[in-house]
Amino acid sequence: MRPSCRNPLAIRVAVFIILVGFFSGVPRVSHAQAASTLPKSWNDAVAKLGDEVAAAMSPVAVALSVENISSLDASHVAAIGAALREQLQHHSFALPTANSTAAQSAVPLQLTLSESAGKYLWVIQVPGDATDAKPSPTLIVSVSKSGSTEAEPEQQSLTLEGRFVWKQPERLLDFALLKDPASGESTLLVLETKRFAVYKASGEGWQVSRSTPIPQAAASLRDPEGTIDSQAGKISLKGLECVGDPDLAGVVECKPFKPAQILRGPFVTIPGLPNSVGATIAEKCRGEYVSLFTAESDWTQSDSIRAYLAKGVPLPVRPAGNTLEFDGPVMALHADPEGSSARAVVHNLKTGEYEAYIVTATCGN
Amino acid sequence: MLRRLAVISALAVVALAAVPVRSARRPRYGGTLRVEIGAAVASLDPDVIAATAEEVAAKWQIDSLIFDHRDADGEFAGAAGSGAFRVTAFEAGKRAVLAANEEFREGRPFVDAVEITMGRGAHERLVDLELSKTDLTEIAPQDARRAAEQGVRVSASQPDELLALIFVPPNAAPNAANARTSSQVAGQALSLAIDRVAIVSFILQKTGEPAGGLLPQWSSGTAFLFPAGAPTAADLEHAKELWKQIAPSGGLVLGYDSADPLEQSVAERIVVNAKEAGTAVRAQAIPVAGAGAEKSRGAAGQSAHVDVELVRWRMTSPLPGVALKDFLARIYSGPLAGVEAGGFPETASPEDIYKQQRAVLNTYRVVPLVWLPQVYGLSARVRDWKAPGPGENWPLADVWLDTETASGVQ
Repeated sequence: MRPSCRNPLAIRVAVFIILVGFFSGVPRVSHAQAASTLPKSWNDAVAKLGDEVAAAMSPVAVALSVENISSLDASHVAAIGAALREQLQHHSFALPTANSTAAQSAVPLQLTLSESAGKYLWVIQVPGDATDAKPSPTLIVSVSKSGSTEAEPEQQSLTLEGRFVWKQPERLLDFALLKDPASGESTLLVLETKRFAVYKASGEGWQVSRSTPIPQAAASLRDPEGTIDSQAGKISLKGLECVGDPDLAGVVECKPFKPAQILRGPFVTIPGLPNSVGATIAEKCRGEYVSLFTAESDWTQSDSIRAYLAKGVPLPVRPAGNTLEFDGPVMALHADPEGSSARAVVHNLKTGEYEAYIVTATCGN
Repeated sequence: MLRRLAVISALAVVALAAVPVRSARRPRYGGTLRVEIGAAVASLDPDVIAATAEEVAAKWQIDSLIFDHRDADGEFAGAAGSGAFRVTAFEAGKRAVLAANEEFREGRPFVDAVEITMGRGAHERLVDLELSKTDLTEIAPQDARRAAEQGVRVSASQPDELLALIFVPPNAAPNAANARTSSQVAGQALSLAIDRVAIVSFILQKTGEPAGGLLPQWSSGTAFLFPAGAPTAADLEHAKELWKQIAPSGGLVLGYDSADPLEQSVAERIVVNAKEAGTAVRAQAIPVAGAGAEKSRGAAGQSAHVDVELVRWRMTSPLPGVALKDFLARIYSGPLAGVEAGGFPETASPEDIYKQQRAVLNTYRVVPLVWLPQVYGLSARVRDWKAPGPGENWPLADVWLDTETASGVQ
């Protein structure tokens, strides 16, 4: 866990209590996302592939086999194969069952699910005509890879959902999403290393309404930290505290701030405990504490968030529900003061951008 | 007994709550990172031309640490020391000491200093790593497995360097519309005969991948469409038939970089493979020097008399379209010099990229052999190191030293 000077001691104690009974050997299960229906872009790609097959060969009986050399999971592979079979039938291709007599004379057609640095590639090599000197055509369609941070729909004791809120190329320390109860107007607060920005909802996006520079220390830090406490109307950074007038959506003033002396003992590594970023969310799940922890990867690797449930001492902690996967390290994880959500800041290593997510833990029946 | 356990448990909880938990991922500042390289860099001035390709690469890495900006040509520019580090000591060809730039716009590097020792041989570097005398060094791909077996902490990038055979361009430009030239037939025969899997398994000790295309699978997603398996009996028979069609007097001369032990081993292996297919190939070391050595190799008018030569081309970007465009520029100024290049769109689709590779490979004037990763050896205390990918530099500003690690502490 990344120690935070600003965490109330009670939360830290609760987190440690929860961790005491946790054993390192607990398997981390990443549940596959069931895909009964494909995203629209995927359906479009399958339809295009079906069209290209129909253009490349006359409708005959075909035996479609699917090979997956990409990171797609089995449910997606099955769904894509089924969708293509449907498309081929739509183009009057016959798809005899595997053991039938017709299958023996069917033209073999192989669909390979591959992937490049940024896309999923679905490839069909159409068998060549022995009487034709031309090489057999290779049909390729591609779809963009999107972050798979959706929770699986199956029943869980606890379900984590990651809702994407914001992304930007500049380093993001924390964010807060506020909603005016009276007007219903949404405000997004974004804390960067050099400024604090307030965005107002505008159409489907966000429009910056105020930007306040943050006074810089003599030497800039490579590991800056900062949090937004929207309830207290306060922003905390290393050596600075900023207060909003009347709240953080208005004028913000920063003053040097020396935090109270923190008891710093020797660093200890507790065997079996997640040595990563964690936060305990406010709401309990069936009377159990819910803590969110990242994986133990470092800042050069992809990351994930997992929930752990514990009733308290001396009951052991157990991982619960699905895992949210991210394309880069979770740089910060802050529990919201109320409710069952936390704010996660992710450095997406594929795009280089910093992304803000609201992670919500929903307790199942 | 139970009561005693409860008391111990409660005390443990209190003790745990009182001390901060150590975070494995929280970087720490301080320390000197010791780096050893094989190249001898004579000058860090971007305007001074390096003498060898190895020096070019090393200089590029060091310059990326001390310069913040590049000019329109991609060359480092501006004031030395505007980058993450500034030079505090430099002995040409021997040693460079860099100090952290406190004012660096992206934040001060975690380490206080980087000490680079130059001109260290591959064996010396490995020994120094094993003795914790250095923290970071390059390891030749063919030495990676042995190093790992000896307990060295090894970090490898995705395979991003293509080892390939290229045919030296003929005096008369080949015309794609005409009948196949003898070098094309020879290229196809060699391509069929070479056992890429054996090169990867035995010479590279499984550090690398057989290459059939001009881009690796992780980047393009279509490398599987260019088979690179071990030759079958039918392949060898086909190679023999092709060779009979041309049978050049004296066979082919295969040139390799005299300073590159990997190229030498692969060249010798190719000679054996070719012989098995009835093809006469003779390996010949060629001195390769000068900053533009890589670019000039395979170009018309080179001094050594070779028919075909080994080249190592590193991808300049992980994006398949960008990387292929760079390779095409080398190919159409080298083995396919004089051949009109087909159009390659700026935003090439995966299908465009596949077709371009197919068009080049069908000429058999470029024969991909294997994909090599960039391999580094690390001491136990190095943290947050990520082997740089195509177009990336050493991430030394992000690296920090875990001073609590038992081994390798200064």
